[in-house]
Amino acid sequence: MTNEEKYANAFCQAFDIEPEAAKNLTFQAIDAWDSVGHMGLVAQIEEAFGIMLEPDDIVDLNSYEKGKEILAKYNVEFA
Amino acid sequence: MLRGKNILITGTNRGIGKAILEKCVENGACVWAHARRETPDFIKLVSDLSVKHQIEIRPVYFDMTDKEAVKKAIISIRSSKLPVDALINNAGVMHNASFQMSAEKALRDIFETDFFAPFFLTQMISNLMVRQGHGSIVNIASMAALDGNPGKAIYGSAKAALIAMSRVIANELGAQGVRSNCIAPGVIATEILQTMPADELEKTKELTPMKRFGSPEEVADAAVFLASEKSSFINGQVIRIDGGL
Repeated sequence: MTNEEKYANAFCQAFDIEPEAAKNLTFQAIDAWDSVGHMGLVAQIEEAFGIMLEPDDIVDLNSYEKGKEILAKYNVEFA
Repeated sequence: MLRGKNILITGTNRGIGKAILEKCVENGACVWAHARRETPDFIKLVSDLSVKHQIEIRPVYFDMTDKEAVKKAIISIRSSKLPVDALINNAGVMHNASFQMSAEKALRDIFETDFFAPFFLTQMISNLMVRQGHGSIVNIASMAALDGNPGKAIYGSAKAALIAMSRVIANELGAQGVRSNCIAPGVIATEILQTMPADELEKTKELTPMKRFGSPEEVADAAVFLASEKSSFINGQVIRIDGGL
């Protein structure tokens, strides 16, 4: 599984959505991505990449694309 | 009371934190015992307690104000795959100065240790607690946060901030099974008392209905209770341990 697939899968697991729906998703764009769902997403991402996000990064993670930028700081590369 | 629980306690090398460590272990908890640094005395304390109670105590060393070091420690705790059933935020430093004699550097330093450090640590640990669906956070505050004791402008303010944080956590994370409470000790007989003026101590003792100082063990008993399932519907509270002051 590529990092892109792992990343999209984290959204799918956290919000029970299809991979295509994950892309372009933003915070609170769907009911499942509320503040509680956000922590579930963080858990899925941390688990998928074996990292621990900084509190500031957890706050900044407000879209699918932004999350990829944040993960770059943790040496997670996307093709 | 704590059999099968895994508890992270900060500042366990002396005073109230040491008593909390002892009481938690006595009550059957496995503990991550935090200290700022490894010392022969601390290693002996942990080893003796572990042997005496046949309980695993995992020492963890980090400077509470070093976010990177805290993060590393939390990653290590998380990698153990054990639940963190309770966090007891005890580490902190006392400061004595009147409001008008409170210097900016001291204000920033004390807030760093007594508020920002437990704030960030609790943020990280509460993430784990939310995921596991349960957890108890116990914050050691102070009566100075509630009473506005003269000479405690900075210390009392930092501890008041800790109480506010605890209330917010109780409200925000209660639905996810995470409780947060505070203990507000009065004057407790620890080495920290040596930093307080003798006349102030004597006056406080006189004002205390029980006419004595508390012991670290009396505070630790409350911490054990709040960390345990015995307090399962207690959330967002501040319990004074002050002999009725």
